[in-house]
Amino acid sequence: MVLALIRPDSWNLPLFLHVLGATLTFGATATVALLGFAGQRGDPDRAVWLRGLAFWVGLVVLVPAFIVMRGTALWILDKEFPGGHNEPGWVGVGFFVTEPGALLVIVMMVLAWFTRSPKSRSAVAVPWLASILLVALAVAWFAMSAKPGG
Amino acid sequence: MSLYQWLLFFHVTGVFFLIGGIVIAGILNLAAIVKDRRPSEVAALYTLIRFAVPLIGAGLLLTLVIGLWLVHNVGYGYGQTWIVAAIVLWVVGSALGNIDGKYQRQTGELAQRLAAEGDAPSPELRARLLNPLAIVISYASGLTAFAILGLMIWKPGA
Repeated sequence: MVLALIRPDSWNLPLFLHVLGATLTFGATATVALLGFAGQRGDPDRAVWLRGLAFWVGLVVLVPAFIVMRGTALWILDKEFPGGHNEPGWVGVGFFVTEPGALLVIVMMVLAWFTRSPKSRSAVAVPWLASILLVALAVAWFAMSAKPGG
Repeated sequence: MSLYQWLLFFHVTGVFFLIGGIVIAGILNLAAIVKDRRPSEVAALYTLIRFAVPLIGAGLLLTLVIGLWLVHNVGYGYGQTWIVAAIVLWVVGSALGNIDGKYQRQTGELAQRLAAEGDAPSPELRARLLNPLAIVISYASGLTAFAILGLMIWKPGA
């Protein structure tokens, strides 16, 4: 079993950056969800301020972290399965989560931009979209860590 | 799935909980510091930081317990450099996080009290938020988690 855990040193940096990006994505998405839910109640000025913070957290932390996670996934995939040959199923799960996930992040950011207005009706959607992304990330880290079937 | 696969999943789950919780607390803490905010705004941010606490606690527990179990399951030695270094960093990070948590809780309580007493800008609250020692302890505790992650990937001395 120890032999199975040995990997070439050249994989370490992309793997580190991939896990770092994924954990930062998880934390930033959870922060957007928290700020988004908190920004739906209480004083209207306070709510708009919290929703504005959710937008900035998304833009400054979530989007770069997501790009790092996805970019380094391709980097390590290219080392582990050159040319895309013999990719096991758990790799496909990563694509299945991150490709719609990228679209989800874009939609979330556009809606979060509009929720900075006091009259915005899209405020309710942002934290729920963030929650969906959190569940999708959990599915991906299950597939990436346990590697079921492969 | 084998026991190893399940252990690895729960260990990685602990990493996500721990670093995710640290990121939540770090972002909200930074949001409270970067601008001179009213006490009610600081109180609102510190109320949200509380949601990160159980996540960090669960992460600390899962990373250590499942991590030690994995060492046994895989057949690594408990005395290997990277494992000892990771445990030392885990203890140091937890201790610093504990100190930071108490300080942050008191800051949140002060912000709530000031918010209830008129919500006027407070030099005392600002001084607590910008306390250099508190900031160093806070961010050092977070950085230990990233250092442990590096040890887990590179495994120096394995």
